[in-house]
Amino acid sequence: MSFAPSTTSVKLVLLGEAAVGKSSLVLRFVSNDFQENKEPTIGAAFLTQKCTVGDRTIKYEIWDTAGQERFASLAPMYYRNAQAALVVYDITKPASFIKARHWVKELHEQASKDITIALVGNKYDLVADDNDSDDSLRKVSMEEGKALAEEEGLLFFETSAKSSHNVNEVFVAIGSKIPEAKPVTEELGSRPGNVGRIDLSGPALRSNLSDCAC
Amino acid sequence: MSFFESLRDKAVTTISLLIERKDSDGVSPDELFCRQHRLPLGEKVLNQSAVEVGYLADSTKAAYRTNSYPQGKVYLTPHFLVFQDIYDGRSCLFVLHLSAIKKVERLPASSYGFALGIHTHSHINVKLYLVGLRSESELFSSQLMGALQSNKPQAKNMAFFVQTCYSEYLLAKNHVPSAETVNQVPASGLGLTFGYPGNLRELRDRSKMKLWFDLFRADGRNLSLIKTPTFAKLVRVGLPNRLRGEIWELNCGSMYMRIDHKDEYEKLLTDNENKHSIAVEEISKDLYRSLPEYAAYQDPEGIERLRRVLVAYSWKNPDIGYCQAMNIVTAALLIYMSEEQAFWCLNTLCDRIIPGYYSKTMYGTLLDQRVFESLVEQTMPVLWNHITKHDIQLSVISLPWFLCLYLTSMPLIFAFRILDVFFMEGPTTLFRVALAILKINGEELIKTTDDGTFIQILKKYFTSLDQRSEPSSTNPKNAQRTKFMDLFLVAFREFSVITDEMVEKHRTKHRNTVFGNISQFVKRTELRNLPRIANLSNDDVSSIYDRFYSIVRQQITVSGGSSFMEFELFTIFMSQICDFIDPEPTDDNTFQKQERFLKRLFEHWCSEDSSKLSLKDLVIGLNKLIEPDLLTSISNFFALYCENGKVDREGILTISEDLLFITLPWEMGKLHDALTATAIENAIADKICEQQEAVGVSNQDPIPIPSNIDIDKEKIESMQIERYLSAASTFIQRAFEYAQPHEEDVLISDLPVDHKLSHNAALNPRLPVFLNLPTFRMVILADETYELLFSSTIRGSIHIDTPTDGFDPMRNLRDMFDGLLADGREVAKKVRRRMDSAAHPGQLSSDNSSLKSRKSSKSHIEDDDDRDDDFSAIDIDESEKDFLFAAEVQALADPVSSKTDDSRHLRQFHDIRTDTQHSSKKANDNLIDFD
Repeated sequence: MSFAPSTTSVKLVLLGEAAVGKSSLVLRFVSNDFQENKEPTIGAAFLTQKCTVGDRTIKYEIWDTAGQERFASLAPMYYRNAQAALVVYDITKPASFIKARHWVKELHEQASKDITIALVGNKYDLVADDNDSDDSLRKVSMEEGKALAEEEGLLFFETSAKSSHNVNEVFVAIGSKIPEAKPVTEELGSRPGNVGRIDLSGPALRSNLSDCAC
Repeated sequence: MSFFESLRDKAVTTISLLIERKDSDGVSPDELFCRQHRLPLGEKVLNQSAVEVGYLADSTKAAYRTNSYPQGKVYLTPHFLVFQDIYDGRSCLFVLHLSAIKKVERLPASSYGFALGIHTHSHINVKLYLVGLRSESELFSSQLMGALQSNKPQAKNMAFFVQTCYSEYLLAKNHVPSAETVNQVPASGLGLTFGYPGNLRELRDRSKMKLWFDLFRADGRNLSLIKTPTFAKLVRVGLPNRLRGEIWELNCGSMYMRIDHKDEYEKLLTDNENKHSIAVEEISKDLYRSLPEYAAYQDPEGIERLRRVLVAYSWKNPDIGYCQAMNIVTAALLIYMSEEQAFWCLNTLCDRIIPGYYSKTMYGTLLDQRVFESLVEQTMPVLWNHITKHDIQLSVISLPWFLCLYLTSMPLIFAFRILDVFFMEGPTTLFRVALAILKINGEELIKTTDDGTFIQILKKYFTSLDQRSEPSSTNPKNAQRTKFMDLFLVAFREFSVITDEMVEKHRTKHRNTVFGNISQFVKRTELRNLPRIANLSNDDVSSIYDRFYSIVRQQITVSGGSSFMEFELFTIFMSQICDFIDPEPTDDNTFQKQERFLKRLFEHWCSEDSSKLSLKDLVIGLNKLIEPDLLTSISNFFALYCENGKVDREGILTISEDLLFITLPWEMGKLHDALTATAIENAIADKICEQQEAVGVSNQDPIPIPSNIDIDKEKIESMQIERYLSAASTFIQRAFEYAQPHEEDVLISDLPVDHKLSHNAALNPRLPVFLNLPTFRMVILADETYELLFSSTIRGSIHIDTPTDGFDPMRNLRDMFDGLLADGREVAKKVRRRMDSAAHPGQLSSDNSSLKSRKSSKSHIEDDDDRDDDFSAIDIDESEKDFLFAAEVQALADPVSSKTDDSRHLRQFHDIRTDTQHSSKKANDNLIDFD
């Protein structure tokens, strides 16, 4: 927990199937860059980025995890004390959405109680032009994504790391959902002892409504 | 949350059991010996002897070390002759491959009595002075001769093998007289073509090469190298590029695999050419993402080599297949090694040096991170306290160091220096270096409070490894020292206290926790992937999971993923949870019937392959088997037998036989169903009532339950037996009575004879009949015992929550009477009711109506006409609803017959049921009218 009132650190973990674009999202957010052939993430990569949300500065400490199936058993190490998580899937790959559902449940069951989760359907650039046509590459509809997000109390975005569509929005939304980042809580939060106990904010409460997880 | 806690506990117990099993097998002394000397597993010590050793190289005629006679032990295995110095394993040691022995001679007797002269292909003469009884020395010598004899076929590989060793080429090129003829540069790493990382001059590659050249001449090379302290020193100062590959494979032992499995690499590739697998696909994705800064990996030549080695390994060891990070390690190996060398080195690495690092659950990686944390805690407690206080995730940060053998963390030239030592000394090297990194940066690290800064400090440190650590020092030696040299010193001097034994001790300590966490994760994942199940609670599914894996005996932590259950194991599974499945049927008849029934279940439950049952199949199947809804339960059972919605004559007979088989424990009186249980309760209650009346106890007093009540158990049991047998015979009779004639063969005029015999249709094999679901339901519902079988008896005899361990097949056969008395509450209620009704006869009906069930009394239970029948399992409203439901289902299933007909049909049937005095003959007439 940060003692400087103007900066809040947020530990954020990215989870999702291999090659859905986790590292690319981070790269876009951190360096506003995109690479076609990114080196695979071994274990997890760590990156930071500062960002102004409202009248606060939020420092994102991002753990970008490896996507290969077998690295999944390492995931508990990464999300153990994360305050926020990005569960990423590829809107052109239904299997990645199933995997995303798994990660959401895993986080609700195993991660810290007040974790803020954003569900992110990536690779929007692949369907941006022919969203409605029958031969669209899109295999996971926006409604399905929204439904899961609603059911589990998640933020929801469709993004493109390639075209940078919605990327910053995801991180900003997460930032504004972190209790300490709320203007209301900021005043209270600056008084020691109250930090972390504030749950006046609607979103933070909503994220706890995961009773249908089982 | 408690659900998952219990899961965790279970997972831990399951896994620790698995581990204990493994430990009890123990590591044999031979296996330890192989590990210690990096011999291929399977070598065993044939004989050993205390020896003194002297050796002399042909090429150095001077008295080179002739005066030193190291003492120690010599071991003979089928393919190796191993000498270990008794005082210091490192000071003089040789592992001679028998193929490298050219000649063995008995030396003229000296004061030692018995001496052998061994001439190796490196032209080194080794003298073994055997110490001990002469007879034993003779035995050793003859066994050595025997082993050499049987190794002869393999010794032929030697000529080819020397052509692949750069050490041989080096000597030949420099015209050493004793050298083999090696004219061509042996197949080597990509470095030969694309250049080696680092500056050759700075690395002092030439001088290093010269030192190795001298060592090879004096102490031999590859398969017949005598390892002296000089050898270890030369490895530590960094290997010269062209020899690096060969020394790596010699030190890790993969060289022995390569010579003994000549051509296997090529064969793996040709055999699996054009074959696809997930691993192959994953490999292709990562080829251009492996050390991309090295020129060869931007070139088809390098990419193809990398692909071939990784693909070959994925076929060689499909359990591991391909794990990201292996691409980086293999890419590094291939700079210095030929494809075949790299392939065997990768094998040795994954299977022996760092087992479990790249497995499907990566348990080795997780375990060693835990070990690393413990070692930090032990060696640097102040730093460790700081790390835990600020919740810095050390293991997350250090994981890539171990997984990629530092290749992605620091500049390659330094990572290779670490690998040089790693292949010689094993995984402790990784721990020593990691600890040294923290130690050196300790002062800065202790100021950090978050992961980010922690990582930044280390990143900066890694990129500065080539810088001078004390550039302003007045001592020229210190001024020259680089940060990497410091790291090396701290790692291998200060942290030399970290030994294999210590690492192993910590691994043992944390193994259970780590395995437990993994199996818990694997289980969570797998359970989450199961479809939603109506009749099974999460606990039930969890129990099924545990039992499934305890039976399949697949060590989930090692290979991960799902596995399948074959029929034999399915039988074991069912016998553990089902009262009517006997784990070891005594008579053949029962055995056959049981197998036939189980086979039917098995085949119906298998979704993909009819010989393998997945966990998902099993859960879905069991869910059907314990269906609480009577009508669904009946149709589930019917579905096992029907084809196109119908069961033919054979099928009817099979069903009746299977029903007889399933109900065997009740037919034999071993188990009691709800009717019998009630009868027993009533009998006991009656007795108590009698006693109470005799004593004259008031109604308000609590009812004492005597510990022993004398009732006619045998009579009640025999009633049950009779009931079941009559149910079976009634079933077959009714089934054939109500069975419809086959539609296609309905031409009754063609079958005049059959018509006459219709009163005993079952006996006429020529009349084709079939049973459809509605009829089957009718027949089942017509008999109370069978109705009960589907509504509760079968379900009650399946115990999904039976503990996986310590299963006791007799638990359900305990005496029901004692059980009832011990519990006593039900009986007490009944007694109270009887006494109340005796006192206030008018209240009886209202009392009864409050009971859950008031099904009409049954003839099997004598003198209970005026008594309530608390058939807790049967609810009259429920069965009424069932009938309506049945009608609906029938209408849906059989659109030909009209709805009104169905309801009439059923109403009529209902009448038959409620009138227990109705003869089956009459029922028959009614239904025939209807039809």
